[in-house]
Amino acid sequence: MNTNSNVYTVIYTTLICVIVAAVLAFASQSLKPKQDANEKAETIRQILTAAQFEFDASSNEAILGFYKSNIAEAFLVDADGQKTGTLDTKTAQIYGVSDLKAQNYNIKGEADYNLPVYIFKNGTTALPIYGAGLWGPVWGYIALDSSCTQIAGAYFDHESETPGLGGKIKDDPEFRAQFAGKTVNTADDVPFHIVKGGAPAGQTNAIDAISGATMTSKGLDEAINIWLKAYSNYAAAANNTTEEE
Amino acid sequence: MAQKLKETILNPILKGNPITVLILGVCSSLAVTVELKGACVMALSVIIVTGVSSLICSLLRKTIPNRARIIIQLVVVAMMVILVDQVLKAFAYAIDKQLSVYIGLIITNCIVMGRIEAFALGNKPWPSLLDGVANGVGYGLILVIVAFFRELLGSGTLFGFPVLSSLGYVNNGLMILPPMALILIGCIIWVHRSIDKSLQEK
Repeated sequence: MNTNSNVYTVIYTTLICVIVAAVLAFASQSLKPKQDANEKAETIRQILTAAQFEFDASSNEAILGFYKSNIAEAFLVDADGQKTGTLDTKTAQIYGVSDLKAQNYNIKGEADYNLPVYIFKNGTTALPIYGAGLWGPVWGYIALDSSCTQIAGAYFDHESETPGLGGKIKDDPEFRAQFAGKTVNTADDVPFHIVKGGAPAGQTNAIDAISGATMTSKGLDEAINIWLKAYSNYAAAANNTTEEE
Repeated sequence: MAQKLKETILNPILKGNPITVLILGVCSSLAVTVELKGACVMALSVIIVTGVSSLICSLLRKTIPNRARIIIQLVVVAMMVILVDQVLKAFAYAIDKQLSVYIGLIITNCIVMGRIEAFALGNKPWPSLLDGVANGVGYGLILVIVAFFRELLGSGTLFGFPVLSSLGYVNNGLMILPPMALILIGCIIWVHRSIDKSLQEK
């Protein structure tokens, strides 16, 4: 057979592509449940880290179990700060990164949104943030005290920021540690500042940006502020409740 | 015949090592050698990809239309890389996250396509599989050697277990940075060439 004819070449390449596509589709479908479980455990690990827990992260089950025994309440709030639904804590139901992405569109498009709130037994409230870094999305969790005015801790992740520069939002514990103890007032126009060149001494709602990663720092700053503003009514209500107590 | 097979296996590991002699795949070897664990997984992934891709292409070698052979090779290699990435995501999520884009970038590693083009398309499946695996091993070997020194001197640990750090060793931050990997590879090339004089250029 003439393997150099046009017809043969076209049929052959098409056939190879179809076979390869079928193999990949099968692999993707059969591995999906396991991958989703890994992703969920990773998200919970990040939330717990932000909320200042120290735990055994050796297996997905260990992380889920720890989450279930330490979560007090998990629910959704809308723009008015009203509860619109609950997340089942017994099955460790959470909002994954793709859910955050969908809500980020809603916030920016001024559509109705439902944002998750995770309240832990150690008194912290973990809120997610999501936005655009330099190369891809950045997201993370900020843990506030029960009155939603002081930051207890934070954890960030990214899809494709430059390792060693923008990647430091995840890899540099010193960057994350700056968040602890800072204050936020979500009623402010800009509740939080990540300042290039260093935060002014004494300013309690600002931290230093990462040198060499201007765009990532800016993106993270924007993500934090847009999401904290989206929670402002819930935070105000939470603040009132704690003051009354 | 046995002699030829032996050479197929040993040549890529010693005299024709992809990294130290052919200087291929250097980019990824700088990126994934900070820790031994990551380097081992990367080495294993490359061994599987080069081995199986060579095997598949060798099985297809008589049917592949000559004008479209690069595309066919690319499709086969891409399939293997995606499969490896998917399996890692399912069974070694933390390591997959750490290796991030570099698993996907195995497809751009010249070793894989180079061996298919140069060897698998002209040889029977069994030698092709061995050639692919041996080239992967040659690449992986350098990766593991570099990662051994970088993790030991940079973090004071091996596979995450404290070795030097418990002896009061102060970690050398330079070892963690990519330039040091390049210097280490340079040192390995130097040692390799002073042992095997036939590699030295006149």
